Amino acid sequence: MAVNPYYPIPTRIVKIIPETSNVTTFMLDGMPITFEAGQFAELTVPGVGEAPFTPSSSPYEEKLEFTIMKVGRVTEALFNLKEGDLVGIRGPFGKPYPLKKFKDKEVFIIGGGVGFAPLRSLFLTLLHNLKEYKKIYIRYGARTPKDIVYKTLIPEWQKINGVDILLTVDVGDAFWKGRVGVVTVILDVIPVDVNSASVVVCGPPLMMKFVTQRLIEVGFLHENIYLSMEKNMSCGIGKCNHCRVGRFYVCKDGPVLTWQDVQDIEEPFL
Amino acid sequence: MTKGYFLDIILTMNFYLLPPEKVFDFFTILSEDGVVFYSIVENNSAHLIKFDKDREFKPNFIKIRTAENIKHFLFPSREVLSKFPRDIQIKRARQYLFGMKNCDLRGIDVYDRVFLKWEPIDPFYKERRDNTIIISADCPEPEDCCFCNLVGLNPYGEGICDINFTPTSSGLLFEVFTQRGERIIKKAGNLFRSPGKDDEKERDINRKAAIKQLETNNQKPFDINLPEVIEKADKNVIRNARDECVECFACLHGCPTCYCFLLGDYKKGDNEMVRVRTWDTCYYAAYARVGGGANPRSKLDERFWHRFQCKFNYFYQYEKFYACSGCGRCYRGCSALIDIRKILWQ
Repeated sequence: MAVNPYYPIPTRIVKIIPETSNVTTFMLDGMPITFEAGQFAELTVPGVGEAPFTPSSSPYEEKLEFTIMKVGRVTEALFNLKEGDLVGIRGPFGKPYPLKKFKDKEVFIIGGGVGFAPLRSLFLTLLHNLKEYKKIYIRYGARTPKDIVYKTLIPEWQKINGVDILLTVDVGDAFWKGRVGVVTVILDVIPVDVNSASVVVCGPPLMMKFVTQRLIEVGFLHENIYLSMEKNMSCGIGKCNHCRVGRFYVCKDGPVLTWQDVQDIEEPFL
Repeated sequence: MTKGYFLDIILTMNFYLLPPEKVFDFFTILSEDGVVFYSIVENNSAHLIKFDKDREFKPNFIKIRTAENIKHFLFPSREVLSKFPRDIQIKRARQYLFGMKNCDLRGIDVYDRVFLKWEPIDPFYKERRDNTIIISADCPEPEDCCFCNLVGLNPYGEGICDINFTPTSSGLLFEVFTQRGERIIKKAGNLFRSPGKDDEKERDINRKAAIKQLETNNQKPFDINLPEVIEKADKNVIRNARDECVECFACLHGCPTCYCFLLGDYKKGDNEMVRVRTWDTCYYAAYARVGGGANPRSKLDERFWHRFQCKFNYFYQYEKFYACSGCGRCYRGCSALIDIRKILWQ
């Protein structure tokens, strides 16, 4: 029999890093799969099921991490696992970010909530060859200061020359000194050349909708707006049909599509 | 001629005639190296049953396609795809499907594209497909539910099958499409004789009559820009179309071209898990729902119309034919007798 694309490779969780009250980073043992930034994998919790996640680690590192929010049946079971427990992984699936198109241009990264996880993988990939890109901007919004992921890493990234990071929270607290408001408040000033910059967005559906509206309003080219589509990607190989958006199989043609691809689809982010 | 998946298609069509008194012997030879399923009629419907040389043998190759969805034979409704942590190995036995109609071959054409042509290959489908010999039959008496002519098909096999045959007054007239089909005929060579000109003439007359019947049943063709029409359809038409739907999903479970499936994992003992594939349909409310709860097609309107988009627009964009066979099982199976022809004509 040919290679079985439905078989998950057994691996173990070697490290669990809590990020927020309901978001955790899981490091797997070694590199059971290799991937490029933007591609995703299906993680199996044995006997429970599998769900799609994009790695949050860099493809250049010899470790594989996923930053995951507890939202459904599979993630709930995943959060009950301990370091050393057995899981399965299939992938990589989908297309990576077209890094060649980002070359010598400004890259504008916009994340919302745990949607920042796949963007971290992209960001670390860009950092690996930082001089190939004109400048990297990150705009990240979380619900509260406690919901910000990678809290210890962000201050380090802010020190890097050629990287510009702004954060906002929907609701601040006594210690929060930054911007308050949904992520679009830090998009009031767009410091990049909208005619050439690539913009990459990942976050919850409503955030995606309003951010995309804003990006179109300020004149980003539709083919330069890269959107992570959150769909029910099950088989990962463009057969089961669950992740269909228009004629696209998000698992195969995505998971990142451009606004040009999806603009004619009614409510593409739902 | 539809080329289909197999590469061992033969270029010159070879014809053979199997006299009526030799049909049973041919089945007996076939059953020596595989399970043979053939069509019979019961309660005015065709069904495929397993050939057993010690049981009554009353095949019927005249009636339209079987009542059941034949995709079971290549893409079963429930199938184990993997075990964990140790995977499974599969080996399928040979099977013969005898008497299928061209509408069901359209279904196989769709599956061949999805599971074999679109990478990566689905090894489970491939294993079954490689071990399934398809001997299709002409469909001389199309019924009111049939509309294969509207989706670009003729009422007889023109490819996808290994062999197609026409029942004539002097026996079954076989037309061979693949080398493995040729090998099967050779194996039972002494049962066949060369057909005469009259056999081919009778076949052509029968075929013309069947086409005429289809054209009488379905006088109006679908719009030549159907994919575009579906894409831009009026929202009211979409809403009205599903008014009668009671969400039983018989139309989709009975459809020989639907290929949606669901993967489910189940514990087996303390340390093992099995991954099972079951048929799914896009009419289920939770079909496209994601873990976080968002659902792009939470309303029946959207799901109902998605089916039309999938079959007559999206699939067409990939393969330039409709993922519909015109078999009419969706109409016959529908509690509300929703006729997709009427919706598409609108």
